[in-house]
Amino acid sequence: MSTAVATEPHRHATAPKPGKLTFAHLLRGEWIKFWSVRSTAWTMSIFFLAIVGLVLLFTLAVLNTPSPEDGGPPAGTPLSPLDAYTPAVYLGQFALAVLGALTITGEYTTGMIRSSLTAAPKRLAVLWSKAVVLGVVTLVAAAAAVGIAAALQALFFGGQDMAVDLSEDSTLRALFGTALYLATISLLSFAFGALLRHSAAAVATILGLLLVLPIVFSLVPWKPLQYILPFMPGAAGQQITMTDAAIEAQNTASTVGADLTAWQGYGVLVAWVVIVLVIAAVLLKRRDA
Amino acid sequence: MIEAHDLTKRYGTKLAVDGISFTVQPGRVTGFLGPNGAGKSTTMRMIMGLDRPTRGTVTVNGRPYAEHRSPLTEVGALLEAKAVHTGRSARNHLRAIAATHGIGDKRVNEVISMTGLDTVAKRRVGGFSLGMGQRLGIAAALVGDPQTLILDEPVNGLDPEGVLWVRNLVKYLAASEGRTVFLSSHLMSEMAVTADHLIVIGRGKIIADGPVDTVISQATKATVRVRSPQASDLAARLAGPAITVTPGEEGLLEVHGATAAEVGEIAARSAIVLHELTPLTGSLEDAYMSLTSESVEYHSAALPGEPSRSTGAHAAVPDPAAAAPTTGEDAR
Repeated sequence: MSTAVATEPHRHATAPKPGKLTFAHLLRGEWIKFWSVRSTAWTMSIFFLAIVGLVLLFTLAVLNTPSPEDGGPPAGTPLSPLDAYTPAVYLGQFALAVLGALTITGEYTTGMIRSSLTAAPKRLAVLWSKAVVLGVVTLVAAAAAVGIAAALQALFFGGQDMAVDLSEDSTLRALFGTALYLATISLLSFAFGALLRHSAAAVATILGLLLVLPIVFSLVPWKPLQYILPFMPGAAGQQITMTDAAIEAQNTASTVGADLTAWQGYGVLVAWVVIVLVIAAVLLKRRDA
Repeated sequence: MIEAHDLTKRYGTKLAVDGISFTVQPGRVTGFLGPNGAGKSTTMRMIMGLDRPTRGTVTVNGRPYAEHRSPLTEVGALLEAKAVHTGRSARNHLRAIAATHGIGDKRVNEVISMTGLDTVAKRRVGGFSLGMGQRLGIAAALVGDPQTLILDEPVNGLDPEGVLWVRNLVKYLAASEGRTVFLSSHLMSEMAVTADHLIVIGRGKIIADGPVDTVISQATKATVRVRSPQASDLAARLAGPAITVTPGEEGLLEVHGATAAEVGEIAARSAIVLHELTPLTGSLEDAYMSLTSESVEYHSAALPGEPSRSTGAHAAVPDPAAAAPTTGEDAR
């Protein structure tokens, strides 16, 4: 082995110095990191399975909705193929949330972060490049999952009038919005991961925000909580997964009067991501790694 | 070149590094020696911009590490704790680090074979032994072919072959390539054969900074071993304010504070027969112990029945026990 020492370092005298640290190079590095851990493949598989499988399953359930006499919804309630997406997204989002958190907390729990910050000692670029890779990959994956689900739904249940009708423009927006929502939830989880630097803490926080707090808020009969509820990341972000008609129906039923439109709701979710990410960035710059 | 000025790090109430200033010159191996908790790792982390100094500055090749446009080709670092995602293969770990600087797979494969990781490069790092982890850390430090190399306890956990390899590597990079090598260790024997220059740290303060030989000679007093049938007579004549004599076994004396020539002359004047007159030079270990005895953070209790440590030195002629860790080392 010691013979290799003698031959190697002469290389630098002749070969040109390798490239500099650039954002494009950092993205390439993060891309390699992203795909070279098992958790990515695992969470992605579970995510696809959840979205595609649950959309088909819930479509079947919608088709078998009991009649009003058997305790079903009152006659005249329109059946929509999009109804199957809400529960699928509700569960599928946690796979991407775990992926988002692990993207950064995996580095803190293993110590990898020190290698990452040594390679990019200005630090913030590490955070941004990770966020870009995660955001782009999860958006493409979520769009693919939703697309596959819609195609299979049309294939199996089109005959029963349960295919998504893309000619209504708010339907297409709702489907794309579903993918956008899922990718953004993954980024929110990533932001909490960067802030808390601990896998379990980050996943617990995102579960609490998406799952536990909305239930608690709706159960506790204290009026101010009802005003906060529409601005929670899950409720606000899911506006963009609904058609305009569904949003209108929901706002009519609501007594709170928050009445967010699809993009306003999504804007609230983005604001959550930005705020948490900015706090994480400030702390990343200040804290010892 | 690494230049630290008044570098200080405080964790809560504990002062880990206390206003140290030093320079690490290119072209030689600079050893950073100190007991556990002395502040070696903290200092290195501050050089690499991982810890923010409470006070003071440290620059590498003229500017703070973070200000370099191509950090990994300026400085390669192996820091004490493992800094690797356990779920990733060694090769992908190196590829990801190299990619941040646009360094291709060719160089990655080079450092893999240099560090002897070929057979395990595709395995996940989580299953690596301490030694393999160290090799991977060294590979990561070398991947940018840096001008400055900072290695925190690089031989920790390495087998004898790996120890020898690291030693030859850093000497080669410093002496033949003119690079800056800054190497920390708590192993004095390793430093004695690897470093050209020593910075000794204890409780966050620098207690010695100079060439290895100078540090040793300054920290250890001249000692001479004398064997004589008239030992007690000689001891009486030698005793003085600057000289202490420790009687050993029958007819043996250890004289501190006098050279062999002085002892020989005193003996001749008194017509005392000498059977042995051996000058002893201090070892780095003795220098280290005497330098850091005041500043060891974690003292170990003496074992029952263990004699208290003498100021004894090792013979200039290497005795086999002292040379044992460096057997096979003939590069010097």
